[in-house]
Amino acid sequence: MAEARPEAVSVSRAMALAKGALERVSARVVGEVTELADKPGYKAVYFTLGDESANMPCLVWRDAYEASGVALRLGSLVEVGGSFTAYAPKGRLQFQVRTLAPAGEGVLRLQVAALARRLEAEGLMREDRKRPLPAFPRRVGLVTSPRGKAVHDVIRTLRRRYPCAEVVVAGVPVEGPGAVSSIVAGLRRMAEEPGVDVVILARGGGSYEDLMPFNAEEVARAVAAMPMPVVTGIGHEPDTSVADMVADLRASTPTAAAEAVAPSLDEVAARLAGARARLARALEHVAQRARHRVQLLATRPLFQEAAVLLAPFGLSLDSGRESLERSLPGMVSARRDRTLRARGAMLRLGGHITERRAGRLAPAAAQLEALSPLAVLGRGYALCTDETGARVLTDAGATTVGERVKVRLRRGALGCRVETTEVEA
Amino acid sequence: MTQAKAGLPAEDLSFGEALAELESIVASLEDGRLELEPSIAAYERGVGLLRACEAKLADAEQRVTVLMGELDADEDDAETS
Repeated sequence: MAEARPEAVSVSRAMALAKGALERVSARVVGEVTELADKPGYKAVYFTLGDESANMPCLVWRDAYEASGVALRLGSLVEVGGSFTAYAPKGRLQFQVRTLAPAGEGVLRLQVAALARRLEAEGLMREDRKRPLPAFPRRVGLVTSPRGKAVHDVIRTLRRRYPCAEVVVAGVPVEGPGAVSSIVAGLRRMAEEPGVDVVILARGGGSYEDLMPFNAEEVARAVAAMPMPVVTGIGHEPDTSVADMVADLRASTPTAAAEAVAPSLDEVAARLAGARARLARALEHVAQRARHRVQLLATRPLFQEAAVLLAPFGLSLDSGRESLERSLPGMVSARRDRTLRARGAMLRLGGHITERRAGRLAPAAAQLEALSPLAVLGRGYALCTDETGARVLTDAGATTVGERVKVRLRRGALGCRVETTEVEA
Repeated sequence: MTQAKAGLPAEDLSFGEALAELESIVASLEDGRLELEPSIAAYERGVGLLRACEAKLADAEQRVTVLMGELDADEDDAETS
């Protein structure tokens, strides 16, 4: 009688049978996290995945959870891999998670890749669109979340490297709903700000999903349309966002972006020191060259012997004289003949006159001779006059030291300079 | 750009403009084609630019201007305006 009907079993046995059957069902499941219990000290994290019409309780051992790198949050879409099991004490069905990954990421990645290809085809990523960064920015724009590490990392790095630059911050939410339009608004505001010559678009690390606003087409187009170079510092290695691709320069982190934008103070100081040394050296060279040129000129014959300077004039004088001499003789000989004739006639006439007067003249001349001061010179006296010879000097007090005087001797004269004067009282 | 601003007092130039003009003056002096007087004038301008650059670096205090949003205070970011 009992052969047709299975024997009744205990609840424990029944649950053990169910557990055995469930554990043969492995699956990969995508769902939204609808409940979450992540309590410190628990060996596992408990959560529920749901869709429109069903819920599935899950557990993931803490080791596996931490290894996955996924941070579960209510509402996030995840993909889990594992098998069902039953928890006998509570009579509960559970899905035991062995692998955990953000879901939809694959889908997102495909969408992002498609957008990237499209913008690339438009030429927005071409190398020749990438502008060089200003060497010494005056105002650095910063579009990032006003909260968190990124904004302070950038400000601190700019202050350390290059405090001359002013930092202009557009603090905008960079994740969650509205992030895309906020980032775009921040970029546009920065584009209008006068004097901003480079812009940093930054955010700290996060999940691939967190990065999504930087993969939005609107943000990519706003970056591409900026009138000044844009440097991205989106801390999400190894993922590259579309914003990174269209930016003028991609840095790996906010700090790296700030370093790329600002010159290092040390480099600047070294450049200044170099300019200072080169400036002094260059001027010294210029002065040396000028000295050298003056020296070269000073040793030229012109300045060594003034006669050289006058030589050309001497030559033309000589040639003038020559032509004069050539033209003169004829004229001169004609006149000479006439003169000689006139002289002959005069001598003949004058002889009579002079013979008569000579007798009276001779004694007068002898008398005159004796009176002439010049005769005294013959005896070794000298006559001192002023430079022109017009005034005879008779008083030492009437001359001054340094004055030029003329001393006449019996034969010739001396040009002298008064060294001292001795005035008699 | 530095050519247009070459006549301005060195203090009125930005650091980058002053450094760019300074380096172009050094290059033209090193080039050696300037006469003595223009060389000395260039040198004097160069020294002025050098001083202005050094002063800008020495006196630089970072300015932070917030256009949008409200910055969290950070103990390291003392001077925000």
